Amino acid sequence: MDTQDRRAISREYFAKERLAEHHFRSFNAFLDRGMQQVVDEKETIETDIGDKEGQEPVWVELGDVRVVTPRVREADGSEELLYPQEARLRNITYSAPVFMEMAIVRGGEEEPEEVVDRTETKIGRMPIMVGSNKCNIAGFTDEELIDIGEDPADPGGYFCVNGSERVLMTSEDLAPNKILAEYDTKYGDEVQVAKTFSQRRGYRALVLCERTRDGLLEVSFPSVSGSIDFVTLVRALGLESDEEIVHRVSEDPEIVKFMLENLEEAEVQTTEEAIETLGKRVASGQGKNYQLKRANYVIDRYLLPHLHEEGVEEEEVRINKAFYLCRMAEACFELALGRRESDDKDHYANKRLKVSGDLMTDLFRTALNKLARDVKYQLERANMRNRQLSVSTVVRSDVLTERLEHPIATGNWVGGRSGVSQLVDRTDFMGVLSHLRRLRSPLSRSQPHFEARDLHATQWGRICPSETPEGPNCGLVKNFAQAMELSQDVSDPQGLKQELAEMGVQGIPGIESIEQQPADD
Amino acid sequence: MSTTVTQCPECNGSVKQQGVESVCRSCGLVVGEDAIDPGPEWRSFDDDDTDRARTGAPLTRSRHDRGLSTKIGRSTRLKGRKRRQFARLRREHNRAQISSKRERNKVYAFTEIRRIISSMALSDAIRDRACVLFESAQNEALLQGRTLEGFAAAAIYATCRTEGVARTVDEICTVAKATPAELRAAYDALNRELGLPTGPIDPREYVPRFATTLDLPTAVRQRAERLVDEAQDRGLVSGRNPAGVAAACLYTAAQEQDVALTQAEAAETADVTPVTLRGTYAELQE
Repeated sequence: MDTQDRRAISREYFAKERLAEHHFRSFNAFLDRGMQQVVDEKETIETDIGDKEGQEPVWVELGDVRVVTPRVREADGSEELLYPQEARLRNITYSAPVFMEMAIVRGGEEEPEEVVDRTETKIGRMPIMVGSNKCNIAGFTDEELIDIGEDPADPGGYFCVNGSERVLMTSEDLAPNKILAEYDTKYGDEVQVAKTFSQRRGYRALVLCERTRDGLLEVSFPSVSGSIDFVTLVRALGLESDEEIVHRVSEDPEIVKFMLENLEEAEVQTTEEAIETLGKRVASGQGKNYQLKRANYVIDRYLLPHLHEEGVEEEEVRINKAFYLCRMAEACFELALGRRESDDKDHYANKRLKVSGDLMTDLFRTALNKLARDVKYQLERANMRNRQLSVSTVVRSDVLTERLEHPIATGNWVGGRSGVSQLVDRTDFMGVLSHLRRLRSPLSRSQPHFEARDLHATQWGRICPSETPEGPNCGLVKNFAQAMELSQDVSDPQGLKQELAEMGVQGIPGIESIEQQPADD
Repeated sequence: MSTTVTQCPECNGSVKQQGVESVCRSCGLVVGEDAIDPGPEWRSFDDDDTDRARTGAPLTRSRHDRGLSTKIGRSTRLKGRKRRQFARLRREHNRAQISSKRERNKVYAFTEIRRIISSMALSDAIRDRACVLFESAQNEALLQGRTLEGFAAAAIYATCRTEGVARTVDEICTVAKATPAELRAAYDALNRELGLPTGPIDPREYVPRFATTLDLPTAVRQRAERLVDEAQDRGLVSGRNPAGVAAACLYTAAQEQDVALTQAEAAETADVTPVTLRGTYAELQE
C-alpha cells in the first residue's frame, strides 16, 4: 500500500465526523440511558412525615425522565429554541429543560396507599453538548449551519456554559472490578497484595487482600478499620468448611499448603462465630444484637459492592463474594510462589477512560441527590404548615441546574477533582481538535511517577507516541492516536450475562436460576 | 485604557464596567476594553488542593443573612470521635443561625421566593428585589394575620409589576404554594401600606410573549405592537384587561396579514374569554 492509497483510506475514514465521536457517543448514551438509570437507582424520595403517631407516611416516586432540546427563557417570559452561537454571543448557557414524572404517595400505615399528585414537572436544566443528539443543530446541513451562524467545520463535543466553551477532559483511571496483584513492602519485608477497586452506582470501594510476612491472609475494606482475617471473613460469607475454602482458592499443592497454614490459625469455625467476630470489630462496645446487625450491614453494603445485582438474593451474592475473595487469595499466593508476575498498572488493558458521559453521570447523580434532599425538606415544611402537597410546589428547579452548571463552569467536579472542564483551546483549528482528543491521568504532576509517564507498548495505535506536553505534565497528559476507536461499556449487561450463560458459563448470579433445568430422573 | 469614559459616544447613554469591558447601558456598545480584569480571581489551578479563588460569593439580599454565614465543612480525613464531634458542632451551628421566629419566617419566605423565581425563570435582579420587598413588608408588620406563602408570591408579583415584566396573577399561582386569595390579600396589603409605584399594566409587555407562544411571525408581532400604541392613543385601553387588549391586537394583526389565528386560540393564551377579546377587536376595527 503506497502513500496514495493510505491517503485515500484516511480521507474516507475522516469523511465522517469522527474527531469528537467519543464525546458524542458517551454523552448520547448518558442522555438516552444513563439519566434514566440514575433516576431508577434513586427510585423514591422518603420523607420523615409519618414518624409521628397518627400520621400517614408520605414519599415521592420518581418516574420517567425526559430532556428536550436547548431553549432560552427571555425576560418577557417567552421561550425560544437556542442555538450554540446565540449562547456564545449572549453569554448564556446552552442547556435544555429536564422533566421528570413524580408522584407523591401517602398512606400505607392505617389507610390504603393513595397517590396525592402525579405530574411531570420541570426539575432543572441540563447543559447540552454541542453536536450531540439533543443539540438543536443535530442533523443540519452545512448551509443551514452557516445560516444560524455556526461553523460547519466545528467538531462540537463541548459544552457552552455562561457563554464560554468548556470541554470535559477525558480521564484515565485504573480499571475497576478487576483483581490486580502486586508487591508491596511492609516494615522492610516484601508482602503480596491483591487489589480490587469495586465500583457500583458511583460508589467506589477498595478491597485489599494481603499476604503478610508470616504467610497469613488479611483483607481490608471500607468501614472496617485495619484488616480482617481472610478465613474469618470467608466463613462469615457462608463458605464454612476447611475443605471448601481450600479448594475454592486453588488445587495447586503448594497453595493448598499455604492455605492450611491459614486455616490452622483460624479464630472461628462456623459462620455464626465469624459474623460475631466481625461484629466485634465493626461495632465494638455496642450491644450484641446491634453488633450482628451492623456486621451484616457492612458485609452487604461495603464489601465488594460490584457483585450486587438487581433482583439477586443477598445469600447468593454473599457466596459469590466469598468466591471472589478466594480468587484474590489465589492471586496473592501465585505471586508469592513466583507463578505469575505482578500486574502492570500502566498496561492499557488495566485502564478505563472516563469520557464526558461518565463524568456527567457522576454529576447528575449528586445533583439528583441534592434535589431529592430539597424535595424532602420542602415536603416536610409544606406538610408542617398544613398545605396541600403537590409536585409542582415542592420542586425547586434551580437546585439541579446549579449543581450541573457550576462544575462545568469552574472545573471543580464532584469528589474534589479540579480542572475537569477546560476552556476549549481556540488558538487555531488544530488546537480545538487536539483538545477534544486529549486525555489526562489523575496522577499528581508534582511527583515523578516515571513508569506512568513512559510510553507503554500497549499504547500502540491508541495513544499518540509523540504528542504530550513538555514539563511537569509530560507523559501524564496524552492524546488519542488518529484512528483510535473507543469501545463502550455494554448497554445491556443483563443480556450479555444471559448470552454467556447460554454458552455454558456457570455460576452467574440471577441467571443461574433461569438456566437450571429440572434434573433428569 | 478607557475606564474614564462615562458617556457612550453613539447614544450618550451611561457606561457600565462589565468585567474587562466598558459597555453602554442603553445600546450595548463596547466603549473600551481594559486588559486588567478587576473581578475576583476565579481561576482554580488543577492539581492544587486549595481553591485559589481570593474572594467569596458576593453579598446577596436574597438570603436572610445576605450570604454572610459561616459553614462548618466536611472532611474525609476526620474519623471516629472527631467526626461525630464535628457533626454535632455543625448541627448546633446550623440551629444557631436562625435566632428568632421572625428570622425563620424570612428564611422560609425567601426559599419560597427562590423556588417560584426559578420555576418561572425570572432574573436574579427580580429575585433580589422581591426579597427586599418582603423584608420591608415584614418590617412594617404587615404579615400578621396573612400567610407567608401569600406574601412570597405577592412580593414577586409586585416586583414584576414595578419592573415592567409582565406576569399574570394566574401564572404565579400555578407555581406558588399560595392560593389566589392569599396572594390577593398580601398584594393589597403591600400596595396599600408600602405605596408601590405600580401603574396600570402596559399591554405591550404581553405582546412578545403571546406572539412566541402562538408561534406568530415577527411582522405580526410588530404590527400588533403598533396597534397597541394606536389603541392607547385612542383611549381604548383603560378599563380593559391589558392581557385581553394584547391578545386582541395580535388577533387583529394576524387577520390583516392573513395569518391563521382563531379568537379562541388568542384568548386562551392570554387567559381571557373570547368575548373580552372581541370587544377590543371591534373597537380597533372602527
